Amino acid sequence: MLMRTNQMAANTSVAGNDKIRPAVQLDGVTKRFGDSIALHEAWLKIGSSEFMTLLGPSGCGKTTLLNLVAGFLEADSGEIFIEDALVTETPAHMREIGIVFQNYALFPHMSVAMNVAYGLKTRGVDKKEMARRVDEALALVKLSGFSDRKPRQLSGGQQQRVALARALVIRPKVLLLDEPFSALDKNLRGSMQVELKQIQRELGVTTIFVTHDQGEALSMSDRIAVMSAGRIRQIAAPDDIYRRPADRFVASFVGDANVLNGRLVERNGDAAVVSIGDVRASVPAASLAEVSIGGSVDVFVRPEHLSVTSRGASGSLPGTVTTQVFQGGHVDLYIDAPGSARDHILLRSPGIAALSSCPVGAEIGLSIGSDDIVAFPPGEAP
Amino acid sequence: MNTRPFLGWFVSPAGLVAVGLIAAMLAVFQYSVRAYIPGSLEVGGFTLQNFAAMLRPLYALAFWNTVLLCFETAVFTLILAYPLAYALVRTNSSALRSFILVVSVTPLFLGEVVRTYSWMIVLGNKGFLNTLLLQLGLLDRPMQMMFTAGGVVAALVHVTMPIMVIMLAAALSHIDRNYEKAAESLGAGPVRVFLTITLPLSMPGIVAGFSTAFAWTFSAFATPQLIGGGRVSTVSTLIYQLGFSSFNFPFAASLSIIGLALSLAVIALLKKAASPLERMAGTT
Repeated sequence: MLMRTNQMAANTSVAGNDKIRPAVQLDGVTKRFGDSIALHEAWLKIGSSEFMTLLGPSGCGKTTLLNLVAGFLEADSGEIFIEDALVTETPAHMREIGIVFQNYALFPHMSVAMNVAYGLKTRGVDKKEMARRVDEALALVKLSGFSDRKPRQLSGGQQQRVALARALVIRPKVLLLDEPFSALDKNLRGSMQVELKQIQRELGVTTIFVTHDQGEALSMSDRIAVMSAGRIRQIAAPDDIYRRPADRFVASFVGDANVLNGRLVERNGDAAVVSIGDVRASVPAASLAEVSIGGSVDVFVRPEHLSVTSRGASGSLPGTVTTQVFQGGHVDLYIDAPGSARDHILLRSPGIAALSSCPVGAEIGLSIGSDDIVAFPPGEAP
Repeated sequence: MNTRPFLGWFVSPAGLVAVGLIAAMLAVFQYSVRAYIPGSLEVGGFTLQNFAAMLRPLYALAFWNTVLLCFETAVFTLILAYPLAYALVRTNSSALRSFILVVSVTPLFLGEVVRTYSWMIVLGNKGFLNTLLLQLGLLDRPMQMMFTAGGVVAALVHVTMPIMVIMLAAALSHIDRNYEKAAESLGAGPVRVFLTITLPLSMPGIVAGFSTAFAWTFSAFATPQLIGGGRVSTVSTLIYQLGFSSFNFPFAASLSIIGLALSLAVIALLKKAASPLERMAGTT
């Protein structure tokens, strides 16, 4: 099952990106630490100017993959290419990559300008040109006039801008971002994300972004590689990842999902029909190849794809509201639906109407209002 | 209400020691301004003669020698200890780490006299080093190492090594490895990373280790006395000779006072000279 998923992921990436010449390519890269496999045969092609996100929980191998591309770790097997050049054994300082760390790692003993100039000095850029490019880079991140400050005199957001300027000033072949937003507070994080995305698009720099935050991944990426336990589970555009997760792990890690108890009714080529109680829904058939007709399946439904109808309406599941959570723009309803789901079902109702129409204890009907539903063979662990 | 009810009890032992120390210092100071009566342990009236006598070349030279000796010792210790501390902090091999710790820290557990005698065995004309070099044909006749400043420095480096390694290792272990990775990604090779990132950021450890090595060496007695054999005169050996051979306590006391002042002055000077470097390295 795992092997198959892996192969599928690899195929997706190749098929999805054949026309663009890859800026970064990993061919079956494996990395072990002692007995544990940190990264298992990663196949990945990242197009020029693409914003690729590596998404997964901690320990999934995303940082290992980043360090392998950066040259801080050496692959045990497989090959890495950057712009058609084989770099598997090239030391980090000759790979021409820019990297922004989670803690920014600004050199504390150097001013902002010296930090930004560091990569130009190692390249022997002459003084005039260096000053010009440093100014340009600081202007790009809106920090003109901060040249003489020391890193510790800057706020977290400003430090991150400096780190970005320092990485971009050398015109890197690839920009690597290692959870750069996790140290920022929530408001700042949002505006930095927008800004980073703008800069990235403006410069057209190929970017690999590592994060465990699915919201960040969905909002910023051109494509996302979802990883878990050292393997790439799925590589696809954010909306595909959200709407058509390739396996249980992706379905439950990206976005919220309700797991409903269903049965496989029939198979028609690429599509299949599953039933949940009296409700029927169409799902992709690929993930159900191992399930026989009539066999039980787990149906994954997003909270916003459920809606409230009257009890007993045709094509609805019976349920009881147990909790209301007002979220401002929407209302989260937790619904007890024994028989349909093992846990509570989460329903996301836009607006505030549900506050009055669905009080706690209300007996309601649930209907599924979307085609973006997936089903997988039953199982506990993702 | 007293928020730290046991504070008084806890600091009282330290207080007792401090009182004793201050009393002893006052006694030394009191001796230093008394006249010496040859042939007697009694001292005469108030005088500043002892301090004036120190300007004589013999004593001025002893001071200069001592400062030079301390400086040389601190420099050599730093040069030898830095790679050890670096390897200690950076190695992934726990065997190598234990080995470095054992090698660099054991001198702390040897008595000063035992350690010094072992150096005499190594440095003597028929000692280990000379025998080895003669056997290898690198020397025609024994090289004089005992009773030289060089021999004293070698033995003192051994003494100051542990503290230097520990202080440098502490400083190095506080350097975020991401600084070095960032520098690498910006195109800096290993040498450049070391010179522009690691070395400046370890400056606080270098200054602390250097000053400590300097102060320790300044007060060292057994090593310069035994290995120098009276031919390498330092402030501490001079104090010993004056105090316990000539029983000139007043002069010995005034030498002690000036010695203390001098070593404090040198350390203050070192700190001052290094403070721009330290500020540059930032507080980690």
